Amino acid sequence: MFSHLAVASSLAIGDMLFYAICFIILMWLIKIVAWKPINKMMQDRADKISNDIDSAEKSRDDAAKLAKQRQDALANSRHEATGIVDSAKKQGQQQRDGILAEAQTDAQSLKDNAKKDIEQERQDALASVRNDVADLSIEIASKIIQKELSADDQKALIDSYIEGLGK
Amino acid sequence: MGDPSSVATFQFGGLTFNAANIYSGLIAFVLVFLFVFALSRHITMKPGKGQNILEWLIDFTNGILKGSIPGNETGAFGLYGFTLFLFLFISNQLGLFLQIAVGGKDFVRSPTSDPIVTMTFSLATLMIAQFAGVTKYGWKKHFSGYLQPFVFWLPISIFEEFTNFLTLGLRIFGVIFSGEMLLKIIGGLAFSHGIATMIVAIPLELVWQGFSAFLGAIQAYVFVTLSAVYISKKTEIGD
Repeated sequence: MFSHLAVASSLAIGDMLFYAICFIILMWLIKIVAWKPINKMMQDRADKISNDIDSAEKSRDDAAKLAKQRQDALANSRHEATGIVDSAKKQGQQQRDGILAEAQTDAQSLKDNAKKDIEQERQDALASVRNDVADLSIEIASKIIQKELSADDQKALIDSYIEGLGK
Repeated sequence: MGDPSSVATFQFGGLTFNAANIYSGLIAFVLVFLFVFALSRHITMKPGKGQNILEWLIDFTNGILKGSIPGNETGAFGLYGFTLFLFLFISNQLGLFLQIAVGGKDFVRSPTSDPIVTMTFSLATLMIAQFAGVTKYGWKKHFSGYLQPFVFWLPISIFEEFTNFLTLGLRIFGVIFSGEMLLKIIGGLAFSHGIATMIVAIPLELVWQGFSAFLGAIQAYVFVTLSAVYISKKTEIGD
């Protein structure tokens, strides 16, 4: 073993140099061919993954925000719709009440007018009847005065007058 | 195979090279590169099969480093840990299925079954640890760490560095070397007395190969873990 080492040491420099140089060249080649691009790619991948995680987080937040907005808008529009329906109802009620009240007053005034007219007519009719009766009495009286009248004549006379009233 | 006489050597630029180390090292380097290259072709945000494997490996080695080195300082050593783990793993497994010997001399085997190779990496780790300590605390504070807890501790601290260097390299060497040695012995047994020994040797070889594959993976893991421990020791002295 030691004799081998002693002899080997006389060989050492050449082989050592050869291996050292070859190893440095191999390291350099590997660095160019694989080490740098692969490490760069691994770094890129790590960056990409962290970016993806960040952007996923961000888009999740955005989605949550959007959903909340939509919900708010929905609630808002429901609220608004309720308001619109309520105000429409109220307006309708008001209108109905107004129309009803107007119709009632109209009807009342019409009834009043009609009553007044009827009363007027009756008064007029009564007045004219009274006048007629007076005239008739006067006429009857004058006729009686002019001639004696039998009961039959009287009856006929009254009938004739009544007939005359009917015309 | 560990015996120097079984290894072809050649001289180049005044330096001695071990042919087996050079060939098998080159094969391991190329295999690691091809493996990483093939798996990293279509890098997309949604990972495919290859990218998944590679990302799992990166996470795995980064996890080893994070287990020992506190805070965000692992980034600087991530590439070292990753490359080291892949290279040691493939080196450890290489000799299990590919051993080429020509004329009694090895040409391809596990690179990590040679102490010079493993010690190169343990030296690299300790140098990186020193470097990290100096860049983090400056020369003065870094080397004052050797005088803790008191000045006379200095020889022990220095000796500890040396033993760290030796044990880190020799642990993986020992395991892989012995594993290959036993594989060779079982292989020799298989061909020694014809069919009968072959029938006995094949299941043994299978079992030992499986065990060695497991040990190779464990040793690669242990090496990277201990590297992280040594680095963290040097970057945590100053409390």
